[in-house]
Amino acid sequence: MKSITLYEYKNSFLNHIDPFCKLLYILAALSIPLILGVSVTKLIFIAISIFLIISNKVFKKVIPLFTFSAIIILTAIIIQGLFYSNNKHIILQLGPLKFYKEGLLFAYHIALNVLNILLSFAVLIFTTKPTDLIDSFVRVGFSPRFGYVLSSVFQIIPQMSETMSTISDAQKSRGMESEGNLFTRIKAFFPLISPVITSSLINTRERAIALEVRGFNSTTKKTFLNQQTRTRKDKIINIILLLLIILSSIWRIITCLK
Amino acid sequence: MSKITVTNLKYKYPHRDNLALNNISFEIQPGEFIGIVGENNSGKSTLCQSIIGLVPHFYKGGYGGSVIIDDIEVYKSDISTLCKKVGLIFQNPFNQVTGSKETVFEEIAFGLENIGIPRDEMIERINFSMKLLDIEQYKDRNPFDLSGGQMQRVAIASIIAMKPEIIILDEPTSQLDPAGSEEVFQAVTKLSNEGITIIMVEHKIEKIAAYCDKVMLMHKGELIKFDTPSEVFSLDNLSDYGINPPIFTSICKKLNLRKDDNNYPVTIEETLQLLKKERSYEQN
Repeated sequence: MKSITLYEYKNSFLNHIDPFCKLLYILAALSIPLILGVSVTKLIFIAISIFLIISNKVFKKVIPLFTFSAIIILTAIIIQGLFYSNNKHIILQLGPLKFYKEGLLFAYHIALNVLNILLSFAVLIFTTKPTDLIDSFVRVGFSPRFGYVLSSVFQIIPQMSETMSTISDAQKSRGMESEGNLFTRIKAFFPLISPVITSSLINTRERAIALEVRGFNSTTKKTFLNQQTRTRKDKIINIILLLLIILSSIWRIITCLK
Repeated sequence: MSKITVTNLKYKYPHRDNLALNNISFEIQPGEFIGIVGENNSGKSTLCQSIIGLVPHFYKGGYGGSVIIDDIEVYKSDISTLCKKVGLIFQNPFNQVTGSKETVFEEIAFGLENIGIPRDEMIERINFSMKLLDIEQYKDRNPFDLSGGQMQRVAIASIIAMKPEIIILDEPTSQLDPAGSEEVFQAVTKLSNEGITIIMVEHKIEKIAAYCDKVMLMHKGELIKFDTPSEVFSLDNLSDYGINPPIFTSICKKLNLRKDDNNYPVTIEETLQLLKKERSYEQN
């Protein structure tokens, strides 16, 4: 079955780290630059994220993220460089286009933010099994129903797209045109989508029964097959990250008081 | 004491006028293997669902009479309590997979996690049920990647791991190929030998005749007859209820070959025995 998760098991360091550690890393990567107000920290965190991504062998999968963010960053550079409201000093002139220093600097900060956010999340998403992440949420008190909804998405969506291709094959074999210009494709869409929806509704009812008979609504405290593996390593990382956040807050408060 | 006692059970689905179950009463003893036969819409599935409490707790609707399992009255209990005693397996193996677990092993654990079984016992139970259904080799596969028969066995294993005392199978083999349905029947026989009470709805009448201790014949929401397979399948007006007797019974009816109790044989073994006896008479 086709998987829609970005996670891939590589037996790497981060694969064996508690998901909460990685969440705390995201928190640190986003909050510390904000607290300190120094953009160098963003660069540092970007460097750390890239290092983590490369050392955990998922760099190849992250490349599409770069191309995606490149579009955003490029737009920011053009728009801000040309039209930022505080623009004063021209730095570059390409024919009628004038790029200003202030705008480009502003775009540079946006770029850092985008990269920092994307990469720190990539550290979590590319190295964590979604069910592990959801399990750890359920363990700290999130509703198991909520957890089920989230984790079933990863299987039910590919399942539905498989049903969809079966139905589309069936319709094609009965002579329906589903390829061609936009209009034929729109026309083909409705006979395709209605069986998909009705069949998933019927399936949902049956699956609801299947869940019921397996104690889904049970009020007893849930147990877990996969043990929570919070090792000493995890604890040390957590403490370091927390300390960093606290220390930067203290530093900021002190500099403000001066 | 009876395992299941049903008295004057009546049930009507919401927004329907006709009774899906009409005044049904019977008793099932512990360890019995019961088959339910009847044409479509005769109330077989509804009856199954009334034992685990899906009727009335899941569907709502009008309810009368009582279903008592050991000493629990279904109407006053709820599904999450009953599911520890009664397991239900139904037709479509595909929809019985929870869809939230990535391996067969985790899939079987789903129910156990919900009812709060400690981890060590959970693993023990999962291994036991996988062994019983011979699916150990698929342990780390994604449940959706299995074939229908394999998936159905995973569904059965998931129920067995919850250690119910009663297992209800609602047409468990109707979507399976002959090999797949034989696998399921073998597994169910094993369970029956373990002392679990089994209730099975099935259209493969020869299988019902061969495996079941007693057969329920249902028609339009009513229980017509609840007796041994040879009593039920020897009924003269069986075809009025949309049921064909096992092929061996049909042949013996035509040949007017009866057993000592005046009923027709229902399995190939019984037929053979009878024929052998006839032949030895003729030789003498």
